[in-house]
Amino acid sequence: MRRALLILVKDLRVLKRSPFLLGVLVAYPLVIAALVGLVAGYSTSKPRVALVDLDQLPATVVVGGHTFYVNRTIDEISRNVRLVRLPQGEAERELRNGRVVAVLTVPYGFVADLEGMVRSPTLRYEVAPGGLRPRLTQQVQALVYSLNRQLQRAYIGTNVQYVRLILHGGQGSFLGQKFDVLGLDGAQRELSQLPRGPRLDALRDFVHDARLALAQTDSALKATANPIELHEIGNQGRTWLLGAQVQAYALALTLTFLALVLAAGALAAERDENVIGRLARGLVRRGELVVAKVALAAVVGGGLGLAVTLVFGAIVQAGNVQGGEPWGRLPLVVVGLVLAAAATGAVGAFVGALAREARAASLVAVLVVLPIVFLGIVPREIVPAAGWVSEALPFAHAVRFFASALYDVSPWHVVAREAVWLVALGGVFSLLARAGMRRLTV
Amino acid sequence: MTSAEPRAAQPLLAAHGVARRFGNRVALEPTDIELRAGETIALIGPNGAGKSTLVAILAGALEPSEGTVESHARVGWVPQRAALYRRLSARENLELFGRLEGEDDPAAAAGALLAEFELPDDNRAAGALSVGNRQRLNVALALLGTPRVLLLDEPTASLDPEQRARLWDDVLSLPGRGGAVCFVTQHDDELDRADRVLELRDGRLV
Repeated sequence: MRRALLILVKDLRVLKRSPFLLGVLVAYPLVIAALVGLVAGYSTSKPRVALVDLDQLPATVVVGGHTFYVNRTIDEISRNVRLVRLPQGEAERELRNGRVVAVLTVPYGFVADLEGMVRSPTLRYEVAPGGLRPRLTQQVQALVYSLNRQLQRAYIGTNVQYVRLILHGGQGSFLGQKFDVLGLDGAQRELSQLPRGPRLDALRDFVHDARLALAQTDSALKATANPIELHEIGNQGRTWLLGAQVQAYALALTLTFLALVLAAGALAAERDENVIGRLARGLVRRGELVVAKVALAAVVGGGLGLAVTLVFGAIVQAGNVQGGEPWGRLPLVVVGLVLAAAATGAVGAFVGALAREARAASLVAVLVVLPIVFLGIVPREIVPAAGWVSEALPFAHAVRFFASALYDVSPWHVVAREAVWLVALGGVFSLLARAGMRRLTV
Repeated sequence: MTSAEPRAAQPLLAAHGVARRFGNRVALEPTDIELRAGETIALIGPNGAGKSTLVAILAGALEPSEGTVESHARVGWVPQRAALYRRLSARENLELFGRLEGEDDPAAAAGALLAEFELPDDNRAAGALSVGNRQRLNVALALLGTPRVLLLDEPTASLDPEQRARLWDDVLSLPGRGGAVCFVTQHDDELDRADRVLELRDGRLV
């Protein structure tokens, strides 16, 4: 290992003398991490959905005596999607060319059905095919659910009014027709003034029981409509930019790029410099050379990863943001940084051994990085195969290690499992790199 | 490759039936060659004859596809293209390879070789040296660890006559000290420096 250490020191010295290369190696992954962060942020932003209003929704709609302000209602319910009012033809065109991801149509007669309260009004929903479809459908369902909840309140309020009318009597209206209702209270009063008898007593008992039962209708109706209510409580947690996943992804992406390109380029450079033959003469064994390149990736990647972690920690500290363990878990994060960089460095050494030339190795490494990263980002639920492939590469394990080390209350189980994965993958790819080095001849 | 103290009748370096294929292409047919103490051998032949392959196999830089190499002395190797780290200075290259060769005092060995080959002892990267200086550094690197056998692959190819003369003065003192030299050359005027001349054609000794 002394000889591997000598090669490592040499590589670090060479790297120090290449400030431009070092700058690019450091800056590029950070830029990519920021861009991926933006993309991740965009992916959680509201998709654009066209609203086609064929029924010319008025500014206000009165349902069961409740007034709905349509624009305010749309603003309130479009938390998950951005509703854009478009004419029908334009909406269909934009759906076809992908500028909107779905079209929600308010058909003719919608408001009349709504105000009539006799039959359920219908909304039409058309969504483009693709990976967003399940998510969009969920969001539109959430939108309709939100609308229904508001209408439910109005319907329940109206129904309760009718029940009270039956209970207490008075003047009511239905479909514009006004009418007087005696009510159970009035019926009981009338019955009490009539002479007693078995048939009238039965009627009195019924009116008495009906009054008691209908007195409970208010809360019973509300409970039936909403067996479980969800109350949303606002919190002061991190924004997505400082969120656990973004930080874990930024660290893993930075390491993956740096370690892979560095190890691949450094190993192939031994052949470019023509020293591979000199080293092969028993000076440095193939395994030692691979170890030197893996160690180079671990040292440089670990150092840069630590710097990124410190910057994140400082921002979190300065912003007084709650949640996470920016400092307390630093030693654990450093262990993860070194393991992840070493495992990715082993992948890089394998690429360098196969590519043979430094230029080709660097190019292949850059080309390999993005698929590795995106395989780790694609949700397993959407593309299970991506999850399986990702398991065989260090990126996904690094993400899980960092996320757990920085944010889990008890990270030890996840961290230990991912550390074993990283060590195992590092070992496997180091052996593959060692075998591939047979190609690196004079 | 084995290593032991040389006996009088024993060659310092011997190859037994060594051959090399690169994929389907045969670069070197099974070949036998021996280098004895005090001997200087010249290897000649047209381009692609297998000279560099044979020397690289003898040096242990390339594994033979078949056959064995038997070594009883430390071997120094000067590849045709300079084998050095271009971003390190001449001294840093010499010190690094000195440590890898197991020199007791790599800094002293590097200083001695820099002086012997009149190489610049400054921070200049080896890649910025002249072609002649790079080639002399290439030879100097082969002399680390005090080898008794020196294998040189066209060491004077890019040197001017004065530099070539100086290089041979440095190299050819070795056989006189009980060592052996085997060099590849394309220059007929260098053949009179050899005790034996071996010719390779199409991967075979002729």
